[in-house]
Amino acid sequence: MEIKTLLEQRGLLIFDGAMGTQLQAKGLKTGETPELLNLTAKDLLKEIHRSYIDAGADIISANTFGANSYKLSHSGKSVDEIITAGIVNCKEAIKESDKDVLCALDIGPIGQLLEPTGSLKFEEAYDIFKEEIVAGYKAGADVVLFETMTDLYELKAAILAAKENSDLPIICSMTFEENGRTFTGCPAEAEILLCEGLGVSAVGVNCSLGPKELMPIITTLCEKSKIPVIVMPNAGLPDPATGEYSIDAEEFSEYAVEIAKLGAGIIGGCCGTTPEFIRRTADKVKGRKYEPKSIERVCTICSGTNVVEVSQPRIIGERINPTGKKLFKQALINDDIDYILGQAIEQVNAGADILDVNVGLPDIDEKAMMIKAVKSIQGVTNVPLQIDSTIPEVLEAALRVYNGKPMVNSVNGEEESLKNVLPLVKKYGAAVVGLTLDKDGIPPKAEQRVAIAEKIIKRCEEIGIPKEDIAIDCLTLTASAEQLAVNETLKAVRAVKERFGVRTVLGVSNISFGLPNRELLNHIFLTMALENGLDLPIINPNVAAMTGAVRAFKLLKAIDVNSVEYIAAYGSDTPTAVAKPKSSDVTLEYAIDNGLKADAAKITEQLLIDTDPMVIINERLIPALDKTGTLFEQGKIFLPQLILSAGVAQSCFDVIKAHLAKNNSETVSKGKIVLATVKGDVHDIGKNIVKVLLENYGYTVIDLGKDVEYQAVVDAAKKHEVKLVGLSALMTTTLKSMEETIKLIHDNGLTCKVVVGGAVLTPEYAEKIGADFYAKDAKETVDIAKKVIG
Amino acid sequence: MILEPIDKNEALRYLGCKDGTDNEQMLAMLDSCEKELLKAASPKYLYAVYPISFTDDGVKIADSNIILKGSSAAAHLKNCDRIVLMCATLGQGVDVLLRRLQVSDMASAVIVDSLAGAAIEQICNRAETEIFEKVHSNSRTWRYSPGYGDLPLDIQFDLLTLLQAQKRIGLTVMNSNMMVPTKSVTAFIGLSEGEVDRSTRGCESCNMKDRCKFRKSGGHCGN
Repeated sequence: MEIKTLLEQRGLLIFDGAMGTQLQAKGLKTGETPELLNLTAKDLLKEIHRSYIDAGADIISANTFGANSYKLSHSGKSVDEIITAGIVNCKEAIKESDKDVLCALDIGPIGQLLEPTGSLKFEEAYDIFKEEIVAGYKAGADVVLFETMTDLYELKAAILAAKENSDLPIICSMTFEENGRTFTGCPAEAEILLCEGLGVSAVGVNCSLGPKELMPIITTLCEKSKIPVIVMPNAGLPDPATGEYSIDAEEFSEYAVEIAKLGAGIIGGCCGTTPEFIRRTADKVKGRKYEPKSIERVCTICSGTNVVEVSQPRIIGERINPTGKKLFKQALINDDIDYILGQAIEQVNAGADILDVNVGLPDIDEKAMMIKAVKSIQGVTNVPLQIDSTIPEVLEAALRVYNGKPMVNSVNGEEESLKNVLPLVKKYGAAVVGLTLDKDGIPPKAEQRVAIAEKIIKRCEEIGIPKEDIAIDCLTLTASAEQLAVNETLKAVRAVKERFGVRTVLGVSNISFGLPNRELLNHIFLTMALENGLDLPIINPNVAAMTGAVRAFKLLKAIDVNSVEYIAAYGSDTPTAVAKPKSSDVTLEYAIDNGLKADAAKITEQLLIDTDPMVIINERLIPALDKTGTLFEQGKIFLPQLILSAGVAQSCFDVIKAHLAKNNSETVSKGKIVLATVKGDVHDIGKNIVKVLLENYGYTVIDLGKDVEYQAVVDAAKKHEVKLVGLSALMTTTLKSMEETIKLIHDNGLTCKVVVGGAVLTPEYAEKIGADFYAKDAKETVDIAKKVIG
Repeated sequence: MILEPIDKNEALRYLGCKDGTDNEQMLAMLDSCEKELLKAASPKYLYAVYPISFTDDGVKIADSNIILKGSSAAAHLKNCDRIVLMCATLGQGVDVLLRRLQVSDMASAVIVDSLAGAAIEQICNRAETEIFEKVHSNSRTWRYSPGYGDLPLDIQFDLLTLLQAQKRIGLTVMNSNMMVPTKSVTAFIGLSEGEVDRSTRGCESCNMKDRCKFRKSGGHCGN
């Protein structure tokens, strides 16, 4: 039965209290796996369940919190066995009590951190949860409870696993610190957005703090959530030395009354609470009329750590899109994810609130690239993403692996599009951009576009996508071709906003296509559109005038109260005083020695007018780099300085690459090298330093990242026909992976050489595991590359 | 918890610059990297005291099934009757910062990495100060971590489970025994009502002694 119906019928519901605390009181050793008791101490567990039922709990949780394949891996027992026994114990206790109580399949975090910080893949997390859900569903659980979660991404994998493998109601609860965030930085609002979007039945907080400390979080939950709120606090705070909790059952139950008044629907207890806590709480609040707050929300999306409310103009960065960008296309073909990440970070630093992500290119596997791009971008920035593709399969793949509530770009008025895209938006709880075009193309008149908008909104509502999650794009036409259409677009924006109360979005830059001084036109059109009600301009935020127009608009419209954001952006425009010679005195060599990126790029541009790119590389850049390399070897400069110099050379290379791309010339590369941090190892800073240096000596690096499967290294070495593979490992435990990777390279008969490096390696060990070279640092890797490749 | 100013000379030493630097650009970068690190870090630590007993296999932690195997932990804990088990982390924010910088500004990434190394040591020192305001003993050993001597790294999983490190400070361990967040430490300190031998600290008990860059240049890491 749905939780909401239950709340309407029974009033406020009571959950049980701590299981672990009870087990420890009965002699469980700390550090032991409590779920094993499901098999060995059935009576004890039934007795604990029974005491919570007698105390007045409406829902009790089976002893299955840590019964996942990772935590049980050392136990010799299967997930199915432990969970089935846990549910059976729980159901038997309910049956014997003869009360109408529900049994919750209780599921906690897996115990390993997910990518990108950890190594557990989203898809693996899904499978681990799926195994638990399947077992619990089969054994007869009534509800699924995910609790004590700290990572929104892990919670998403869990919810999807529950929805796709059972039809049970889902309750989700995360654990927050006093700063209002979980350990991974997730705020309660992001939890609400994810859970509501994915069709969860109740959302809330448990553990870590007592009811008093949790009040601010509980207030947020009750004021922002449209679905019922569950609250299960600890019995106060534990004493670090004795482990005893600070409040008693009576005080706890008094807080429960406060929590009920705030509008929560389900109240229970976590660590340190006992049947007595639940009894007193039930006495005071059980069955009390459920009175949630009524919630009004404007369009809001989020990442795993950052919530963006579109209650004012928000900038969507447009740069992650290969259309018309040769370097971007090249990066996609080369699997160069760092290029895309660089674009992401640059836009966020420039002021983007949301990033559009489009990696569509005919020659690549768009789905695989989209998954990789979304996962990688959300690992380095915290802005929400707008998933941009015309292929429903690509959209779905991205929606699955996205951490938070994204926006989908886009659906349009065509039947085919509505039919394919809207069910995905609904299933994954996203917001959606609706384009005002249909099978007849873009209608010329504002009124016609408004009519298509109306149709899209209606279809969204029919399928259950709330109006707040819709943004309509009235489409910017090129002023050079359709001058009169500019005003129609603006009229449509205003009408859509006023008539339907939905958000509006526009790709701004298209306005100036084919005209000189595009920036000026973009800038003025943006300002006009904002005045007509544009909420989500899709622009290049790296152009100062564009971002500036939005900031200035917000200030002048009194949205940016007291000009706080504006001053934060421009108030400290004082140049940092670093003594340097006059620009005219700066040579390429001086710039490289002193980390002067902009100067070096400018000099390279000038040199390119009359110098062959290879001459610049071989006679200027590389000798300059060699010099800093020698100084580094002599201990006269140290690592950051060496890298800075390399970074300067990189900016020169970028100029040369752009120059060559413009002239359709061959790219400059001395050859390809595959780099990987071996399986099991996530510390890849050393490998990344090597990469920077190799690239600056003109090598093309195929960077496979960290925690790389043995086979992936072999596949890349084959595919790119490389002469050199570089492997890094940080720990003694992952040296084994290095050995296995080398063995597989040899077993596959590849003739490439292997260079290895890493803190715990020695030249002797490198030789023993079959490596051709040992490099003590990044500089030495470059020397080896020169030897092997030239 | 707020981090104190980070010992920049220590960070410079990790970077291979043992005598400090007067390079203005480097000093400016150290300052800005420190600011970023302080913003990204949310340091936390956690500890508990356990009685221990000595068995043929190693040192057994009471009320648990954990044995600190091998001879080096036993030698370290000689004469001790209890241990303080502790773990500390700078939090996931530092990993995010490092990932971002490795894409956008590698030189800063290297500096932040070293500063974070210095910072986690400072957090451990602070934890130790707090611990010994509350836990009394006649004498105590220095901090000893899995991976030292012949104490296997895979004990980390059991120690962190015992401390409920994931639930309480968000610290986990991968199958490869690497901790995540990456800037984290697990350690124990022996407590004795008698006297402990503190002289064993140094390169001889270190598993890095054959490949340590400090030793190669004629110095040592300071531990």
